[in-house]
Amino acid sequence: MEYKANITNISRGSFHDGPGIRTVVYFGGCLLSCKWCHNPETLSFKSDVVYIKSKCIHCGRCVEICPQGHEIRGNDMYFNRVSCKKCGKCAELCPSGALTVTSKPYTPEKLFKEIKKDKFYFNQSCGGVTFSGGECLLQSDFLKEVLKYCREEKINTCIESAFFVPFENILKVINDIDFVFADLKIPDREKHKEYTGQYNDRIIENIRKTSEIHSNIIIRIPLIPGVNDSERDMADFARIINTFGCGVKGVELLKYNYLAESKYENLGKEYTKFSENTQSDGHLNSLVKALKESLIRDIAVFYK
Amino acid sequence: MYEVLKYIHENIKSRLNLSETSEKFGYSRWHFCKKFTEYTGQNFLDYVRHTRLSFASMDILKGSKIADVAMDYGYDTIGGFNKAFLKEYGCMPREYKKRTKESALYYERRKNSMYKLSSRCEILKEEVVHLKKNEINYAIERGVYFSLGTAEAMKAGLSDHEIAAAGTAGVLKNFNPYIAPYEVITGFNFGRNEAPPEYKRDKKYFENSKISKEDLETYINLEPKYKAHSLLYGNCLYEVPVELTKQEREGMEEWASYGRFISSNHSVIGHEQVLKLGFEGLLKKIEKYDNGDGFYKAMKNIVNEAMHIGEKYAEEAKRLLEAGAPEYNKEDLEKIIKTCSRVPRYPAETFLEACQAIWFSHVINTWEDTINANSLGRLDRILYPYYKNDIEKGVITKEEAFEIICLLWLKLYRDYDVQQSAVGGTNPDGTSAVNDLSYMMLDATEQLNFVRCLSVRFGSATEKEFLKRSLEVVGHVQKGLPFFFNDDVMIPALMDKGIEREDAYNYTELGCVETLIPGKTNPHAVTGEVGMHKALEYLFGNGNSMKRPEFKPGLETGELSSFDTYEKLYEGVKKQLKNLIDMTCSSCCKFCSSLIAPKPYKSLLTEGCLESGRDFNGFGCKYDYYQIMLAGLPNLADSLMVLKKFVYDEKKYTLEEIKKILESNFEDEAVRLQFVNKAPKFGNDIEEVDNIAIDLLNFSCDVLEEMSEKYARSFHAQPFSFLWMFDHGRESAASPDGRRKGETIAYSVSPMQGRDFNGLTAVLNSISKLPTKRTPGSTSAIIEVDPKLFTDKNIDVITDILIAAGKMGLSNVQFNTIDADTLLDAQKNPEKYNNLAVRVSGFSQRFNLLDKEMQDHIIGRTKHSSL
Repeated sequence: MEYKANITNISRGSFHDGPGIRTVVYFGGCLLSCKWCHNPETLSFKSDVVYIKSKCIHCGRCVEICPQGHEIRGNDMYFNRVSCKKCGKCAELCPSGALTVTSKPYTPEKLFKEIKKDKFYFNQSCGGVTFSGGECLLQSDFLKEVLKYCREEKINTCIESAFFVPFENILKVINDIDFVFADLKIPDREKHKEYTGQYNDRIIENIRKTSEIHSNIIIRIPLIPGVNDSERDMADFARIINTFGCGVKGVELLKYNYLAESKYENLGKEYTKFSENTQSDGHLNSLVKALKESLIRDIAVFYK
Repeated sequence: MYEVLKYIHENIKSRLNLSETSEKFGYSRWHFCKKFTEYTGQNFLDYVRHTRLSFASMDILKGSKIADVAMDYGYDTIGGFNKAFLKEYGCMPREYKKRTKESALYYERRKNSMYKLSSRCEILKEEVVHLKKNEINYAIERGVYFSLGTAEAMKAGLSDHEIAAAGTAGVLKNFNPYIAPYEVITGFNFGRNEAPPEYKRDKKYFENSKISKEDLETYINLEPKYKAHSLLYGNCLYEVPVELTKQEREGMEEWASYGRFISSNHSVIGHEQVLKLGFEGLLKKIEKYDNGDGFYKAMKNIVNEAMHIGEKYAEEAKRLLEAGAPEYNKEDLEKIIKTCSRVPRYPAETFLEACQAIWFSHVINTWEDTINANSLGRLDRILYPYYKNDIEKGVITKEEAFEIICLLWLKLYRDYDVQQSAVGGTNPDGTSAVNDLSYMMLDATEQLNFVRCLSVRFGSATEKEFLKRSLEVVGHVQKGLPFFFNDDVMIPALMDKGIEREDAYNYTELGCVETLIPGKTNPHAVTGEVGMHKALEYLFGNGNSMKRPEFKPGLETGELSSFDTYEKLYEGVKKQLKNLIDMTCSSCCKFCSSLIAPKPYKSLLTEGCLESGRDFNGFGCKYDYYQIMLAGLPNLADSLMVLKKFVYDEKKYTLEEIKKILESNFEDEAVRLQFVNKAPKFGNDIEEVDNIAIDLLNFSCDVLEEMSEKYARSFHAQPFSFLWMFDHGRESAASPDGRRKGETIAYSVSPMQGRDFNGLTAVLNSISKLPTKRTPGSTSAIIEVDPKLFTDKNIDVITDILIAAGKMGLSNVQFNTIDADTLLDAQKNPEKYNNLAVRVSGFSQRFNLLDKEMQDHIIGRTKHSSL
């Protein structure tokens, strides 16, 4: 069967998501809708149209092809999202790059061809490919195909996932993955629903099960000011992490990233800003300490 | 004064006051102030405050409490300290700590693990960076004595060789030695590179110089024709009357096929011989070949004078010692006397002597035809035997050796930048040539932090640690230094051109990135240059230029309508390109056809000249080749890609329509942006367009091989544009890759500015895929990288990237770390900087995608992190 997936971005030469030099593949589509998500373009499974106003030169080509979606009002362009069919024809025409689409369909072969381009660098630095998103595990059949190719070429593989997926999906691919980043967002069940739209039961259950069958898992906690970055929250996190198996090798605290505003604007979405600043180093250190104290097992805790 | 500064540095934590200090050193207050200001350029109190605060700021960065630091440095209250700090650094100590913490601490930590700059070097560095005394006087002395020497020889009716030698010998004979305080390696070369000085214009300098009255009189009364000849013999760029065809002349004016006369001063000669044989030994060597010809007489004349250059300095040092000049240190002078009375006359025996001798030899070489790109070669290799010997015998310690290297570096880069030396490399037996000195030279470069020219040779045998260290230097120095050259590519490329294996392994760079075999080559650097992108312009004009329609430098390849397939168009472009290369080679040969300016000193130290009795510039060298620069490759490849896509594949435009668009210089901006954004561009690891570039470069190499046969000279391909991408751009009409009329073309083989957006690995892949093993002139690529990538955590990864790219066939690369100015410009002209990525927080983001506030933030941030 022919599999296809919408990929929003392939970012080459990344240093941050896993060991060595990595190519990060962002899948489109996620079942959670975290209010702080800094990759809003990856939320939808379908491709959306992005409009970057500052790049627009008002040439009017988009109006010619799609008069219901675009309109020139005086000296300004107006993009009508409501009547947009998201066909992407305007982005194909737009010369300036003001209109683009968020994702493009890839076959496993085509995706792997892109990944393979940096093989030399992977071999040299023990790097490889990281599948992120969106939620890469939701398209596990596709992922399995790509992983098969990676295995053949001995490319190190890594996923970054929120684990809000059926457990079968995880089972399908987990054996072919060298490294797992699992997101844990909010310890409290109700609060989790409030901020991400879903309860966290399934996530915790999935990570727990996975930690018993996979040996290289790092838990990632995105710290959101006022939501989950108090020392008490750390104790709650620790309580959950303590139930996990010995596959969990580390916990990584991610500083709050307050810079995604323009991305939301370009997609015509509303942005919730939790704070003007990211957490200070002192605060982060105290969180690391608090978390470390509440953990039973000796797990590495660090922040990025 | 040296003692005074040392005293200040040592007692910085106690209260220093003017009267006590001056008393301690036996000066009157007034005299002390005068001397001090003269020396440091600051008054005593300012200097002390400056020094104290710079020490204090380091302590703060090391983690001491601000209150403690303030107390420590003799401030009564924190308020006083804060105020002084604010005045010096423009911010409060706390803020300063926060701002500079990451980068500065990192640097400090690194600094502790390497050799420290001695206080002597610190002081000399201050002088080089701020003061630069004596420079102009020396340029004048050289100009005057060179002209007098050549004039005399011309009046006596001597041969060309002898006239040239008389110029250099005249300088050697008559110059007035000057020894600066604190230096141990002595001797000055001349920073300026221009015509003989005019008395009327430079009157002030003439009066300050030590030229005797009679000499000055003779010089002022010298007939202009003699001065003109001294320019010819003693400089590099000189207008030579050459008969070019109309086509060649037009091609040159359009920067499409450029030929130049560069007599030499782009050389790396065999300085080792001076170390090994001394001038006494060299004289004997000349006598072996001497047949009474003017060529040998000229050499002997120079050697006889050069023999005494050391002695002249030794005598000056003796004089100073006897006069008891207060600003000189006795031990330093004694060292100078000891060294200079031996070298360069006799073979060098110690490390210090070797450094002094090589410096003298370089000075003489630059006196022959000014500095420009006269370079030194693989210094770590040349000096290593002396260093090893000294260390084994216990003559010097490693710290002392490091100081000597710093002193040599201070001399070398005092006035002028483009004097390359290469460190590292591979031995012919396949082992790494990295030694202690290679590391020390990197340390010296980093610590002195004003050096702007150094290359690192690396290959599969090179230790990873060494490469990592070199990249750290890139990160700290932030001047895109050192440059990296890949042995695994360069050596086969050179051997392919008929250079012997042992020689190829010893290659080095001169000036910017030109490759040559030291002591064996005249590379005729930058004599010929092709504007490859012009081939397409001439195809559109059917041989005529689009910028100046009256010019016809191209071939008639037919009307546009005849190119009905892409293949036909491509063949047409190739024809035009071949014509341009042919024209370049032919004008190059015309410019360098006869021996115009003999170079006796270079001939002496270059293999082949002495033996054959022919000059360095008269095809006497063992290797004599021409490096033909190929500029505009990325633009041509991009343009062809646009035509292929829009004209032949999608059929959106016809060639005639494109021609109209180009002639109107992209009246419709939308069309231009379409060409820019909607077709693949070189530098993004996209096969379709990269293959065009590969094929074009391969074709150019083929043509150059053909031309080598046609003109019976050896032509080496060098895809390099120097800084002339601006000139190329200015003289070109708009091109289909979206380049407007007159806009700058791409630098060398780097992708067109702002059109590589697939990340560092993609750019390196694209460049590495080019047939670099056929371009022994080295492909120069500059890649802009965030300085953050060169710090702590990332340095391993960036090292891996470089090693991997090296394996793929990258021949030469320079990393440019981005500074705040670039970012500011990026903010104003976003489309120029599509590739600019900055690390935002948990992720790296393209600069353009950030909102203005964030951009400002990052601009601010980057500025602070750059040391």
